[in-house]
Amino acid sequence: MDFDDSPEEAAYRASVRARLAEHAGELVHAGHGEEAVDPGTHQAQFRHTQRVLAEAGLVGVTWPREYGGQGGTVVQQAIVAQELARARVPVLINHIGLGMCGPTVIAHGSQDQRDRYLSRLLRADDVWCQLFSEPASGSDLAALRTTAVRDGADWVVNGQKVWTTLAHVADLGILLARTDPDRPKHAGLTMFVVDLHAPGVTVRPLRQMVGSAGFNEVFFDDVRVPDAERLGEPGEGWRVALTTLMNERVAIGGAGGDLGVPVETLAAHARERLPALDAERQVLARQAVGRAVVAALAARYTGYRRFTVLSHGGLPGPEASAGKLAGTAAARLVADAGVRLLGDDAVYAATADGDDTWQRSQGYLPGLAIAGGTDQVLRNILGERVLGLPPEPRTDKTAPFAGGRR
Amino acid sequence: MNFDLGPDQRAAAAGAREFYRGSASAAAARAALDGGAVEPGHAALAGIGFLGITVPESAGGAGSSVLDLAVVAEQGGAVLAGPSLATAARAAVLLADHPGLAARLADGSARFAVLDGAVTGSAPSVDAAGATLFLGLDGGDLVVGEGEAEPGRPIDATRGLASVRLTSREVLAGDAGELWARARRVAAVVLAAEDLGAADRAVALAVDYAREREAFGRRIGSYQAVKHLLVDAWVGVDQLRSLVWWAAWAADAAPGELPLAAAAAKAYAAEAFERAAETCIQVHGGIGFTWEHDAHLYWRRAKVDRLLLGDAAEHLDAVARLAVAGALG
Ligand SMILES: Cc1cc2nc3c(=O)[nH]c(=O)nc-3n(C[C@H](O)[C@H](O)[C@H](O)COP(=O)(O)OP(=O)(O)OC[C@H]3O[C@@H](n4cnc5c(N)ncnc54)[C@H](O)[C@@H]3O)c2cc1C
Repeated sequence: MDFDDSPEEAAYRASVRARLAEHAGELVHAGHGEEAVDPGTHQAQFRHTQRVLAEAGLVGVTWPREYGGQGGTVVQQAIVAQELARARVPVLINHIGLGMCGPTVIAHGSQDQRDRYLSRLLRADDVWCQLFSEPASGSDLAALRTTAVRDGADWVVNGQKVWTTLAHVADLGILLARTDPDRPKHAGLTMFVVDLHAPGVTVRPLRQMVGSAGFNEVFFDDVRVPDAERLGEPGEGWRVALTTLMNERVAIGGAGGDLGVPVETLAAHARERLPALDAERQVLARQAVGRAVVAALAARYTGYRRFTVLSHGGLPGPEASAGKLAGTAAARLVADAGVRLLGDDAVYAATADGDDTWQRSQGYLPGLAIAGGTDQVLRNILGERVLGLPPEPRTDKTAPFAGGRR
Repeated sequence: MNFDLGPDQRAAAAGAREFYRGSASAAAARAALDGGAVEPGHAALAGIGFLGITVPESAGGAGSSVLDLAVVAEQGGAVLAGPSLATAARAAVLLADHPGLAARLADGSARFAVLDGAVTGSAPSVDAAGATLFLGLDGGDLVVGEGEAEPGRPIDATRGLASVRLTSREVLAGDAGELWARARRVAAVVLAAEDLGAADRAVALAVDYAREREAFGRRIGSYQAVKHLLVDAWVGVDQLRSLVWWAAWAADAAPGELPLAAAAAKAYAAEAFERAAETCIQVHGGIGFTWEHDAHLYWRRAKVDRLLLGDAAEHLDAVARLAVAGALG
């Protein structure tokens, strides 16, 4: 057991740090004590940042070299993520592409698709989004209604997606659609790559509860998608989607990264704010800070355990869902302790000097408990797949989809 | 980074599991409430060498790490074994410069307990009932002596709790505050490891039951109210394992991290084990509330352990103070 870099890892880290220092002037930086920079309004800078990093060999670390990746290890990938965080580079604009769409194309795409898409994705020449959820199918994703009907060499897509993160800046997306309504719901789905600039695609930004436009509605009206853009076989869409979802849960809190504000930031904040409280209040505040720190460390070290398994070649299992569940809960305790320490400023959206770190985190976390599998859905997965508890009785798994819905 | 047990530790855990399953049980913990012996008991633990795991080889111990001890302690916790390896681990730290006494700890020729609070009338201390030699902190001095132990009526009879008044006193070291603090932290980590094993077992018992028991024509584990309760308890155990391993590793490999890691592990253990034990009873329904069922024995252990060696409030406060003082780096 150890938590140190091996000599090779230390050398790799030093080279990553040197590359980041060399390009520091070309990268977007998340400042401390200011509003978060929004990829929607600063698209050009965000795309440029990712391109610079890709050219420096710091994007797609584990992806195969033939697709523009570095052919590196998950350990190297983690080192890059740590160093990007340390250099205060915000989440890359193509994080959905890197975390979910790209791995799905690698696993299920044709050679032609991999050649056309992957290196452009790494450089953010194309930004990607994930077109899964619909107004009537979020948790119950396989109940989706957007259809794709074969017409000659194309498929014609009609329907609506919703909550699509980044669609307002995206060029491409992976789309899960129903191609055979006469089969049971999971069996009638097919995955496609769609061009968001194609005729018939309309993207309408939705304002999130905290005010910014992070996700969108996307409408498809007779959008023609060439058959060459199919990902996997017709009717195999559910299996393809599971690749995406598995990658999603690892990307969100599966391997030791903090969700929400790092606990070190809470410690520094408490150092500054605690002395201003009266003695009795300090006792209570220390309980809240201590509880948040313990929860965050427990989530972090559990991530290190999962990461160790991955770094030895293991596959991410359903227990990755526990990382998101516990990480979200810990992030809420951290945010809450941070907000409370603000005193009177806790009732405003930012402090007098404009710092909204804590309020922003508090406002973002309800979404984290929903996106990428709600807390309840994750508990179902853990209960059934890790603890082996019986599933709920279901009537919708075997009946033809059309028969059940119309 | 390699945050996993090594092959030797896995083997040690498997061996310990076999030993403990053969020599202790929830049934024995139940019998202890009616005056039966605590199992496996001091002699058996000395015999298999568990009391000397962290005692140096030169003093007849195994010279192994606190992490090695913790993986064994987890297995003991699973069957509510006693005496606690936390006592042996704590005494081993205190006796580091006293090989003669350490040898008696390891071979079992003396039964040590470590006193919390004043040596003239201690707080309830683990394994003090039945001990023959007591270690205590007396005005900054580390002392050893004989004493009179007064047990109270136990909630959990396997912890050997008693208040002690020393009847003799020999100073082993002056200015021992730091050594004392380290020993208490190591003990807290080992106690948390025992809690980990017990909590894991309590969840497993409840999961097994939820997979079989039927109500309203379905197995109860298919109801989300039950399923989610079990998942939350299991996630707590899984998170606790990470803190226990980290803290146990830190005890030897990164002593500077021990204060934070030990406090975090002990605070988390208190609540995760309590939740696991209460979930175990709830999921069993009426049978879980009977004397014959094992659930209450885990519950008893949880209700007592959470208060030993500092409760969650004390350790959360310590974590906050350490974090504010820069312990997170
Ligand atoms: C910030 C954010 C970003 C997102 N980004 C994307 C994206 O980029 N692409 C995309 O495709 N989707 C995205 N989503 C959508 C997200 O995947 C869905 O919102 C989520 O899966 C829940 O679906 P729903 O909103 O339809 O809620 P519902 O499924 O209707 O759930 C409503 C409530 O019912 C509960 N519930 C539902 N089913 C069960 C069950 N079986 N057992 C117990 N409780 C249940 C849920 O937990 C929830 O509390 C995003 C969502 C958010 C909040």
